[in-house]
This record gives sequence, C-alpha cells and structure tokens, in this order.
Amino acid sequence: MNINISRENNTITVYFSGRLDTPAAQEITPQMNALAEEASNSIILDCSELTYISSSGLRIFLMLRKAAAEKGGKIIVRSITNDIRSVFMMTGFLNLFEIH
Amino acid sequence: MKSDRKDNKKLGISMRARLLLVVVAALTLEATAIIQFVYAQREIKQEASLRAKSELKGAENKIMDVVNQAEAAVRNSIWVAEWCLENPDSLVRIPQRVVSENPVVVGSTMALVPGYSVKDSLFAPYVAKNMETGEIRRVSLATEEYDYPSQEWFTKPLELNDSYWSEPYFDENGGDILMTTFSMPVKDKNGTIAAILTADISLDWLTELVGEIKVYPNAFNIVISRSGQIMVCPVETLVMQTTVDRLALESDDYEALDRVNRAMLSGQSGEMPVRYQGQTNHVYFSPVERTGWSLSIVLPEKELYNGVRRIGMIVKLLQLLGLAMLIVILRVAAKNQAKYHHLNEQKERIENELHIAREIQMAMIPKTFPPFPERKDLDLAAAIIPAKEVGGDLYDFFIRDEKLFFCIADVSGKGIPASLVMAVTRSLFRAMSTHEDSPAKIVTSMNNSMSETNESSMFVTFFCGVLDLNAGQLRYCNAGHNPPMILTDAIRMLPVEPNLPLGILSGMDFIEQETPFHYDDALFLYTDGLSEAENAAQEQFGEARIEKTLHGKKRSQDHLENIKQQVSLFVGEAPQSDDLTMLFIHYLGHANKNSHHLTLHNNIEQIALLPEFVDAVAEEAQLDHEAIFNLNLALEEAVSNVIMYAYPEKTDNVVDIEAMVEGKRVSFVITDSGKPFDPTAKETVDINADMGERPIGGLGIHLVRTIMDTVNYERKEGKNVLTITKNY
Repeated sequence: MNINISRENNTITVYFSGRLDTPAAQEITPQMNALAEEASNSIILDCSELTYISSSGLRIFLMLRKAAAEKGGKIIVRSITNDIRSVFMMTGFLNLFEIH
Repeated sequence: MKSDRKDNKKLGISMRARLLLVVVAALTLEATAIIQFVYAQREIKQEASLRAKSELKGAENKIMDVVNQAEAAVRNSIWVAEWCLENPDSLVRIPQRVVSENPVVVGSTMALVPGYSVKDSLFAPYVAKNMETGEIRRVSLATEEYDYPSQEWFTKPLELNDSYWSEPYFDENGGDILMTTFSMPVKDKNGTIAAILTADISLDWLTELVGEIKVYPNAFNIVISRSGQIMVCPVETLVMQTTVDRLALESDDYEALDRVNRAMLSGQSGEMPVRYQGQTNHVYFSPVERTGWSLSIVLPEKELYNGVRRIGMIVKLLQLLGLAMLIVILRVAAKNQAKYHHLNEQKERIENELHIAREIQMAMIPKTFPPFPERKDLDLAAAIIPAKEVGGDLYDFFIRDEKLFFCIADVSGKGIPASLVMAVTRSLFRAMSTHEDSPAKIVTSMNNSMSETNESSMFVTFFCGVLDLNAGQLRYCNAGHNPPMILTDAIRMLPVEPNLPLGILSGMDFIEQETPFHYDDALFLYTDGLSEAENAAQEQFGEARIEKTLHGKKRSQDHLENIKQQVSLFVGEAPQSDDLTMLFIHYLGHANKNSHHLTLHNNIEQIALLPEFVDAVAEEAQLDHEAIFNLNLALEEAVSNVIMYAYPEKTDNVVDIEAMVEGKRVSFVITDSGKPFDPTAKETVDINADMGERPIGGLGIHLVRTIMDTVNYERKEGKNVLTITKNY
C-alpha cells in the first residue's frame, strides 16, 4: 500500500495505490487523521491505482467524510475501479461520496 | 347440495321399501287369516253336519225304541185279540193287557168294526194309564160325540189293511196330552177285519227327548208329522197349531223353506240352508221310519260360526297389533339406518378431510428428489407408502448452515389422532431445529412441548439427526424409534440410547450420540411398517431382509425402489396395515472436496496472507476475478473480526482457517479459541442511513453477509467456529 499526497492551491489530492486492507488501514491511519485536520479544503481521493479495500479502509474514507462535513470542506472520490465501486455499492458508500 | 339430494333419494327408496314391506306383511296375514277362516268354516260345517247327523240318528234310535215297543205291544196282543173275537166279553182284557204290560203305552183300545157284531154295532173299550200315578181307568169310546169309526186311527188301518201310525193329536179322553196312536187291524178266521187294536203313546217324552239334542246352545229341533204338522218346536204356541207349509208361506224365503219341507215330508234325510227371519240357518233332517215323522235340527249359521268369528276377531286384533309393531320397528330401524347412514357419511367426510390434511402435510414434507441437486456431497431419498387408513408416519429434512437436519417418526395408533399428532410433531421439529443444532436439545424441547399437552397419551417414536456436511460428523438422538442402519464398510445397526419416545414424560433429558460420517457412508432410517410388513403367512419382513436388501452400491433412490420391490414381493396380496416410511442418506462429502488450511496468528498483519490463500482456493473452484475479490473481502472481514474482538488481549493465539471447495461451492471454517464472540449477533448496518448517523463499525460483518450465502457461528468445545459459504 502506497499513498501520495499532493497539494495544489486549496485542493489536496491523495493517491492510493495497492491494497487497502486492514493492516494497511492501520498503517495509514495516523496520516489520515492528520489529513482530517485539513478537511476544510477540498480533498480528492484518487483511487485509480487502488486495487482493494476492506471495511477498515472504508472507515478511513468515512472518517474523512465526517471531518469534511464538520469543517465545511469537500471530499471527492476519483477514478474508482469496478472492484472498488462494487464495495461502495455493497456498503451504501456510493450515496455518501461525490464520485468522479 | 348434491349429496343432500342423494340423501333424500335414498330415504325415499327406503320409505317406499318400508311401505311395501308393511303392505306385503298385511296382505300375507290377511290371506292366511282368510284361508284359515274358510277352512275353519268348512271344518266347522262338516263337524256340525256330522254332529247333527249323529244326534239325529241317536234321537231317531230312541224314538224307534219307543215306537217299536208300542208296535210290539200291539202285535204281541193280536193273537189274543183274534182269539177274543169269539168271546166278546173278554174283549176288554186286550187293551188292559196292552197298557199294563207296556210302560210306554198310555192307552189302548180294541175297537170293533161297526156291523161286525150283532150284539152291539159300536164297541170300543179304552184303557188309559195315568203316567204319573200309574192308575188305570176304563172308558168306552163308543159314544156318539167321539164317533170312533170316523177317527183316523180307525179308518186308516182299515183302509190300508195294515198297521198305521196316526197323526199326533190331543187326546180329549186321556187327559189332554199330545199323543199318537199305533193301530193294527185284527182279523177273524175268515180274514175279515173285525176290530182295530191300538196303543197310544204320549208325545211328551218326545219333546223331552228331542229337547235333549243340543248340538249348539242356540240350535233347536223341530219334529213334523207326515202331514207337516209341527210336533215338537221350541215355540210352544206352534205345536200342533200349524204346519210347516203354513210356516213357509209366512216366511220371507218360501222357496228354501218349501224345499226343506218337501224333502222332509218325502222322508229324505240331508241338510239344507234356509233363510228365516233374516238369518241363515242350516237344517239337518232325517226321517223316523214307519211313523212318517221327520226329525230336524235347525242351526243358526251365526251360532255355528260364533267361535270362528271370535277367533277371527282375535286374529284380526293380533294382526293389527303385529302390523303396528312392524311399522314401529321399521320406523325405528329406518331412523337408525338414517342415523347410521349419517354417521357413515360423517365418517367418510372426516376421513376425506383427513386425507386432504395428510396430503397438505405430505406437501410440506420434502418430496422432490433429489432434494438438493446442486449438492454433490449428498444423495438423499425418502418415501412414505401410506396404509389405507390414515396413519402417523413422518420424515423430514432440510439443510441449514451446512448441516442436514433430518428426522423420522412414527406416531402410536392410527386415524385422526395419529394424523394430528404427526402434524404437531412435524411443526415442532421445524420450529425447534430452526435455532438449535443439537439433536438432543431439539428432541428434549419437542418432548417437553408434547408431554405437557399430551392428554390423549399418544406417543411418538422419533429419531433426529444432524449431519455436519462439512465436518462429516453425525450427531443424533433417538427417542424410542427403531435404530437406523448405518452403511459403512459393513451394514450394521446404529447404536442408540434407549431413550423414551416423545410425549410420555415431560422434563426428560435425552442423550445425544455422535459418530463420524465419512465419504460414501450412508444411513437408512425406516419405520416398523417396513420391518413388520407381513405376508399372508404372517411372517415379518424383518431386519435381516432389510440388511440383505441394502447390499450393493446404488443411488439412494434406487435403494428405496429396490426395498419397495422386495417388500412388495414378500408381502404379496396381504393388505398393508401400517404406513411404510424410509429415509436414505448417502454422504458424499469430505473426500470429494479439497481442503485448504491456513493458520494465522492473532496478529492483524497476518491478514496479508489471506489473498494468496484465497487465490489457491479460487483457482480450484475456477472463480473469476470479481468472485476472488469478494471472497477475499469476506474472509478478511471475518478473520479481522476474530483477531480484533476474540483476542482483545493480544496474547499469542492462532486462528485456523479451513477452506473447502465442492464443485462451485466454497466454504470457509474459521476456528479460534478466543473468548466467545458471535459476529452474527451484531446489529446489521443501515447502509442507506445519512452519513451523520452512520456508525464507524459494523461494516465488516455486513460485507460478509452480503457477499456470502450462509454465515453460521457456533461455540463448540470452547472454540468459536464461524462457517461462511458461497455457491457459485
């Protein structure tokens, strides 16, 4: 699991690549908690390279979404694969996120 | 409606039949009575005729006796009289002798023919005897006013030159008694009639004698003289006052009476019916020799048939009584019949409804075979061959969470109660086994339910089994049912605990047993309808034949067909008295499936080992990418749950994962020895809830449920066992 975070103006883009399973979710949780502090900005979660996500990963997405809602920011999920889309569908996340 | 009309028609026929029966009975009785009456009448008539004739004969004999005595008295004195003609002075001694020597003679005279003697032209000394005192007196009949030569007793013998019985007459000299006279000419040496010798007899005795003839109480007798003068008659005013001819003229049936009169006067004997004063009478008559009298008995027909009439009345009364009783009996019988008919119909209806109920029950019981065509690990077949009477046999099975729940039961008794108890048994089995995996617990709860409400004291022999299709383990509990046959390397009876049947004792603890069940093992369950099937010689099919029939490798369905055939051959024409129920379970699991094992430590990092494991399983199951992705996700969620919640203390422990592939079916059994933790008990997540309301947790088990077909948690032997399965 790799993540890259790029900032451009007021937009933060997070590039996920690889499997976001439970251990990976635990691993990135500190970074994501920090990111949540900046949730007043627009945050783009780029999933084009994300091959797998489990509930731990979904919980991070949800945590960010809640933080953005609190701070007046915006979360955009971008470029999800069919696999990830199906997980989103199963969990009702398609309705929670703005997906591009 | 249809059946109502049928009812009426049936009742109608029965009513007509009853009416016909009564009419026939009445006619038969009446005909018998008439025939009896006719024959009785004929008999009585013959009897009366015989009796009348014999009485007439008897009376005639008595009369003739008197007549003969009188005649003899005269004849015996004739020679003396002839001798005395030459000594006229002694003539008076002749009547004297006739009277005194003959008790029946009341008077006698020796009357000379006028002109025969020169001395006196008229001479007739008369000797009379008082019948009561015996006193004898003499008078002369040679008086001018009597003028004996003109009297019948004198003229007739003279004219006939023979003896003669006179018409009866009232004797004016001899004390006003009715009498008749026998006269005989007395001749001299030249043969000239010189005198007439007579003997008088009183006819009082005749009345008496004739009065003694009493053929029937109201019968009476009439004696007439040759001129038709009535000599004896119950109506005294008619005696010597009238003739039968005059009587006939006065009657309303002249012809009949005249016919009788002619017959009697011409000296015939016989019998004739005569209507007189509105009544039919039978007249029996017979002549009295020499006197010209005719003796008759008159018998009113009413009198004759009085007895028969009385008996006839009694017979009629009895007939009516009998018919009344017959009608009453028929009514009662018809009512009973109607009641019986009604009961029968009710019984039929109940039986019919029962059959429908049974069909409904049967419909609830799985009857499609093979029942689980998608499963390669199970070949199951079952059959119920119902007896004619509704019975209480039952089998049932279903698969829940990779376990086959099955049972076979036989309710004691037959008919409605058995059928109802069977329905209760089935629903209890289904109800109890929905949440319970232990056969003993299922059976115990069923027993408690049934015992508490069992007022009919019916019981159920019951075998309950739970076959873990993944583990190849059979757990079972037998409640008084005959032990099933287990087919492994050999065929033997499954060892069973001697538990009581269901419904006998509440609160009983049933003992559970278990046995490993390997690939190709089979279980054959049956009710005693099979083992106790009897042939005509009353031999039972028995366990030995069952065992023999089970040899050889066959599909379950073929096994059952084979047994059916064998039983049918054995039983022959003998009727099937009990339900025959069979359940054949052939296990084809375990050996057929490839098992994958993975043992993880309770470290979340170990999750990373799962994809490779899932790939290996998926490769065998030939799954596509999406399926692999989902399986991976489900397994990760299940395992991470265990690691995070079952082992919160983070002590070093393991999580054992076994994966099985059977065709297109994949299952994972996740076992850990952590604290009891049932992930399925978690509340389901509302995935449509607003973000604000969405809890962070719960998504994992939601995903497992969404992806997998079955999710089953068990706490077994101190371990959490989670089984998740997916069919592709």
